[in-house]
Amino acid sequence: MTLPHFPPLAASFFGLLAIASLLLAFVMLGSRWLRDYMYAFGLQSWLIALISAGIGHYEQVPELYLVALLTVLFRGLLLPYLILRILRRLHADRELHEILQPASALVLGAAGVVLALAVAYRIADALGDPGSPVIILALTVMLSMKLIGFLMLSIRHEAISQILGLMILENGIFLGSQILIPGMPLLIELVILFDLLVAVASFGVLARYLMEHAGTTSSLQLRKLVG
Amino acid sequence: MSLRDILLQIAQVAAVLLLSPLLQGFIHRYEERVQRARGPSLIQPYRDLWKLFHKELVIPEGASAIHFLAPVVAFTAMLIVPILIPVLTNFPLPLSNMGDILGGGLILTLGGFFITLAGLDSGSAYGGIGSSRSVMITILAEPTLILVLVGITLLANSMLPFVVNHLLVGDLSVYWSPAHVFLVCAFFILLLVETDRMPIHSSTHIEVYMIEEARILEYSGPLLALVRWASAMKQFLLYTIFCNVLLLPWGLSIQGTVLGTLGAAVAVLGKLALIACLVILVETAQSRLRFYRYQEPLAASFLLAALAVIANQIR
Repeated sequence: MTLPHFPPLAASFFGLLAIASLLLAFVMLGSRWLRDYMYAFGLQSWLIALISAGIGHYEQVPELYLVALLTVLFRGLLLPYLILRILRRLHADRELHEILQPASALVLGAAGVVLALAVAYRIADALGDPGSPVIILALTVMLSMKLIGFLMLSIRHEAISQILGLMILENGIFLGSQILIPGMPLLIELVILFDLLVAVASFGVLARYLMEHAGTTSSLQLRKLVG
Repeated sequence: MSLRDILLQIAQVAAVLLLSPLLQGFIHRYEERVQRARGPSLIQPYRDLWKLFHKELVIPEGASAIHFLAPVVAFTAMLIVPILIPVLTNFPLPLSNMGDILGGGLILTLGGFFITLAGLDSGSAYGGIGSSRSVMITILAEPTLILVLVGITLLANSMLPFVVNHLLVGDLSVYWSPAHVFLVCAFFILLLVETDRMPIHSSTHIEVYMIEEARILEYSGPLLALVRWASAMKQFLLYTIFCNVLLLPWGLSIQGTVLGTLGAAVAVLGKLALIACLVILVETAQSRLRFYRYQEPLAASFLLAALAVIANQIR
């Protein structure tokens, strides 16, 4: 497998964008307000679209411009809009009963980043290209965003935070793949986007069902396996 | 060690000693202004100190020697720190090799430690509350402080503040690197915590959630003046470290001439005013939190410091 090589300016630009999106993942992890998550998620998607477009420019892959456009449209605008609509209808503003305090969650997330860094070094060694720092950075950001996504899935009860955890996870994988394998086929990207859309749509149905039958959107109430 | 360097070193200490109440006055005045009140005069802290030094000393029953020792130790500690850091000049002066960044942090904490002891000493309820709260927050702030210092050390491969200053002035790519940006953010939160501006309480006198004020409630007269002055100096020192070592490393005297030193003093005042405006903005815009959410800003700061160390590894 050949990894891309970027000029220094491009490398630092991608590094800054990747780190900014990692920070936004931490904003989502540390906040209690569901609306804040949505804005952070939208912004993160815009940053990832910028990375796609930048890589398309430096690696001369014109499809990536299209990918960037689709990312902005779907992840940056459509998905946040849909979820904000669900939020408005369900009157779910904030996470009420978190299992872990946001402060402890942030510290756990930091530990996750350290773990991700250690793993990223191993992977970069195995790929036989320890040279470019932006590769290690991309691997670290990808793995830590996945860990943060898992963390959010496991420490939040509110059904909407759980789908957001899933979406951070997905954003992380997407960000990593953009930097590591710039020529990812357009078709796969399209499939992933529609997958996400379907996930959010079916999730919306599920959340409304929960609201009607259990009177809450908290998954804590789902103790019994009867309808 | 020339005479000029010794004089410059004395000037550094004198600058911290004499200008620190001015910074305090600036923050008090413009915080009120932002909130659409008139605010006290800029030199009000000097007047307060003058007044306190002329008042009689009331000693609480059961106060031991610690009660007298603590203000003096705190005041002296704050006079030692400016020797170690670049306040006016960007080159090391005599005795500045006594300690590195970690040493400076240790001496800053020593002053706070003695004030905490004094809070416990007289046995009053408020002193105990203030001491226990401030120790709790210090315990949480300490790992972050150490991580920030480790981050600075990794960035510059040195623990001397002067080296960090030179590196940041000389190399803009280091200045804009993610590691440095994270360090600045982490240190800014620490700055708010250490200068008693957490979003969980207001820094005013006599209030249920007071922290620093509760520790010194038993003091009066000249001893109170010393404590107040020491805390103003601590604030000035932390702002100076933040400006001259991390955020705005420019505008220090390079050759050490009289004119250059005066210019550096003016520049330091300008930079500190800038940071003070930022602090005022944060303090006004940030809503007050419940008291038991004190660990959240510290967790964020810890996270930023950890990310700085990691970003440094990848750089």
